Amino acid sequence: MKKINPFLKSKIMGWLFVIVPTLLIALFYFYPMVEAFKLSLSSGKGNNLSFVGLANYKRLFSDPVFINALKNTLLFLIVQVPVMVILAIFFSVLLNNKALKLKGLFRTIVFLPSVTSLVAYSIVFKYLFSNDGIINKILLSLNILQEPMAWLSDAFWAKIVIIIAITWRWTGYNMIFFLSALQNIDPEIYEAADVDGASAGKKFFNITVPLLKPVILFTTITSTIGTLQLFDEPMNITQGGPGDATTTISQYIYNLSFKYTPDFGYAAAVSYAIVALVVILSILQTRLGGRDEKKSK
Amino acid sequence: MKKRTVGALLAGALFSSLLLTACGSSSNGGGSSTSDSGATELTVWAWDANYNVRAFEEAEKVYDKEVPDTVDLKIVENAQDDIIQKLNTSLSSGVTDGLPNIVLIEDYRAKSFLEAYPDSFFPLTDVIKADDFTDYKVEATSVDGENYAVPFDTSSTGLYVRTDILEEAGYTVDDLKDITWEKYIEIGKAVSEKTGKKLISLDVNDLGLVRSMINSTGSWYTGEDGKTPTLADNEALKVAFKDVKAMYDAKLVDDNSDWSQWLSDFNNGVVWSVPTGNWITPSITAQEDQAGKWAVVSFPRQELDGSVNASNLGGASIYVLNVDGKEAAAEFLKDTFGSSTDLYKTLVENIGAIGSYIPATEAGVYDTEAEYFGGQTIYKDFAEWSTQIPAVNYGENTYAIEDILIKAMQNYLKGDDLDKVLENAQKEAENQLK
Amino acid sequence: MKRNRNKTIATYVFLVIMSIVFAFPFYFLIVSATNSSIDVTNGRMLPGGELFNNLKNIFSQTAMTSALKNSAVVALFQTILALLIGSAAGYGFEIYRSKGKDIVFNIILLSMMVPFAAIMIPLFRLFGKMSSISPMIGINSYASIFLPYIATAFLIFYFRQNTKMFPKELLEAGRIDGVSEVGLFFKIYMPTMKTTYAAAAIITFMNSWNNYIWPLVVVQSTEKQTVPLLISQLGSSYSPDYGMIMAAVLVATIPTLVIFFVLQKQFVAGMLGANK
Repeated sequence: MKKINPFLKSKIMGWLFVIVPTLLIALFYFYPMVEAFKLSLSSGKGNNLSFVGLANYKRLFSDPVFINALKNTLLFLIVQVPVMVILAIFFSVLLNNKALKLKGLFRTIVFLPSVTSLVAYSIVFKYLFSNDGIINKILLSLNILQEPMAWLSDAFWAKIVIIIAITWRWTGYNMIFFLSALQNIDPEIYEAADVDGASAGKKFFNITVPLLKPVILFTTITSTIGTLQLFDEPMNITQGGPGDATTTISQYIYNLSFKYTPDFGYAAAVSYAIVALVVILSILQTRLGGRDEKKSK
Repeated sequence: MKKRTVGALLAGALFSSLLLTACGSSSNGGGSSTSDSGATELTVWAWDANYNVRAFEEAEKVYDKEVPDTVDLKIVENAQDDIIQKLNTSLSSGVTDGLPNIVLIEDYRAKSFLEAYPDSFFPLTDVIKADDFTDYKVEATSVDGENYAVPFDTSSTGLYVRTDILEEAGYTVDDLKDITWEKYIEIGKAVSEKTGKKLISLDVNDLGLVRSMINSTGSWYTGEDGKTPTLADNEALKVAFKDVKAMYDAKLVDDNSDWSQWLSDFNNGVVWSVPTGNWITPSITAQEDQAGKWAVVSFPRQELDGSVNASNLGGASIYVLNVDGKEAAAEFLKDTFGSSTDLYKTLVENIGAIGSYIPATEAGVYDTEAEYFGGQTIYKDFAEWSTQIPAVNYGENTYAIEDILIKAMQNYLKGDDLDKVLENAQKEAENQLK
Repeated sequence: MKRNRNKTIATYVFLVIMSIVFAFPFYFLIVSATNSSIDVTNGRMLPGGELFNNLKNIFSQTAMTSALKNSAVVALFQTILALLIGSAAGYGFEIYRSKGKDIVFNIILLSMMVPFAAIMIPLFRLFGKMSSISPMIGINSYASIFLPYIATAFLIFYFRQNTKMFPKELLEAGRIDGVSEVGLFFKIYMPTMKTTYAAAAIITFMNSWNNYIWPLVVVQSTEKQTVPLLISQLGSSYSPDYGMIMAAVLVATIPTLVIFFVLQKQFVAGMLGANK
């Protein structure tokens, strides 16, 4: 173990750390992904699959159900991700304050939604937003509404309910990532800023946010991926309805694979459409994040 | 020391995980295995602990009396949707490891599975006597003349009504016997005026009512070949849509968006009638303070020739998978669900399940008087109605087409022209389902 | 000073309102677990006296005990292994950064972008093949439930991003002190990144505990069923017992809550291992 070239040693060490995870991912993800891609080149009922080349992909462009699902998914994405990330940062900073009492309790409560099971909260949300549910009752008593609103049977409002549900559910989850990252910021930086007389706002925007950039990028990308694959809420709260007003791409894949007579080939093609979208969006987000990183240096 | 530590740690973790799995039971080989007493172990996949699972448990008891120690049932319970997912995944992946011997499948999905996975199901044509079972169930579970299932619960529909609310509005139960949907709506309007109660609770994302309406006229979303969408020139479908819209227009509908909300609507007396399958009985009787205030009449029919006062909504049948143990499974089914009147007696008494086995009905198995319904022999009524249900080919695309029709219904309710809406649906269905 | 006091009051009021919003469905869950099924469907908002009954029903009529055991075993293994593997990779990709590794990293990220439904069937087939190698890693084994999740791009990405905030000087100091390369990871990196590990542990445990689709597909016997599968069964009935379902959901939720509450104590401002 003596005079191994330190450069070589470093290289070997580096690969040693990543080799097992890489192989595992190759086995459990990439191998099935390749199989899935092969599947996307065939079509047919259940086991009666035959090769169709790129026909499935062509079909995507003229499939009204897919296009509608795509629109819905993108809409949720554009509204959802910024709202969720901002709220998560907001709560994490709020609940990181040393002077705040009962921090542990409040943090647990904010995190509660992501722990509350899907079964429970989907029933609750359906109750809350039903015709004689609490939300309507409150809005009626405040005279904001004259008549109870049919939240879940209206194409527009059903989307709003989904957005509220997702935000409610995932803010606490994302908050964790920011909370933990905030612990890694050296308090001496803040003390130095205090000496300079910086206000809370300045400290936040000039110190906290830049230092949190890697985690912000992380949550933005993972929230994007999560929202693009959105399934639980539309499936359980609105069943993709009314009609297909809240059907997402993942739900369409589920329907194609299990609800209808399965066409696994086409379902695989739709999945790859998601992959393509995610790749494009992630590259965009990384470019934007990376550029800022260079700027702050 | 360090490299070895890492290696040791990783190896340790992987090793102990393997060790743990060794402690757990090893996987079941596909199909059956023989247990110690020499009995064949058969795996059954079913949902609903109080209904289907109990039914199989009772069946095993009946079988054990006849031929003890021949069969050992392992019932693996999963949610219905989960079973569909598991079955599709297993069958399409070609992995027979872990496939069950016997599986329960909803009738609307039957053709879909049978066509998607030919060769995966074991024909039961020689195992059961098709004539002993109600027509519409046999039709649903056969392909090209071969029977693939033992028909199980009949989901024959009926109209559950609150007799006390009817009285308050000046009607009697007899006024609702063997009526048409138009009469039903008419009475609904009158009752609503006098008592303020709504008629029916509906979910916009579920066209079960439409399905049961057209079933009673011998019509379906697809034609006799089970494949061609028949949405555009379908009189039964048009009338069904019109009737549903009439209910909404007269403000007789309470919206629900969840099974529990639907139950709550009639348990709480928000609505006074429930036209649906007989499996709703336990949910109705759960509301103890309404005992004696409900009755069941025949399902309304459509104002069309050939429409009858009987229909189906749901229901499942029992299939045998083409894996080891199929003969034992077939034998088991033959002697229980396939022919045992005693079993059907137990089923209706303990579970409230009404089978599709005609000899059982003829033997008077369903003649019990239901106290909750004022002594009405509801099970007998349902069993009799089930024999009138028109046999219809449910085809492979029921759920896919229904999703299209849900949109059509939405547009129609918003004011679009009926013919146009159905024509668009027809086109979309033709495009999607090639 | 008055301004500060008003701000504090406003903060607490805001937090209380938010707490009501976030916790309300959970309150409903607890209340429903104490009611009978018919009361739950009637939308009863007050606690009832059925909690004991519901719990008794769950543990006597369903396989809840074994489901809890199964979920716990899987979650334990998945969390420990995933954290170890994910952090090692994140550390490796960031500390020993190289062009080759960056390419591999980006390819790994791709795996996060495929919806699980797409790879589910080929994965199932893969485990079918593994059954013939050994039943301990094949269909219906504990390992089959957690193996696909011990190496995830998600955790690797997470650890890498957080490693960017890690003060690399500490590693240099360690090297000078004669600590081996591997030792740096265990003795210096891990203790410093405690809060990162805590967050990752919470998330991984929760994901494992609530994982639904894959265990559904790969578990074939009642003895191996996990908690989410059990709860799903309870709801699939013509006449579900909603009180029992809610009580089961409550039982299922408690472990994750406990783990969260315990681990979030790590998120205490100023606790920076590096800055001694």
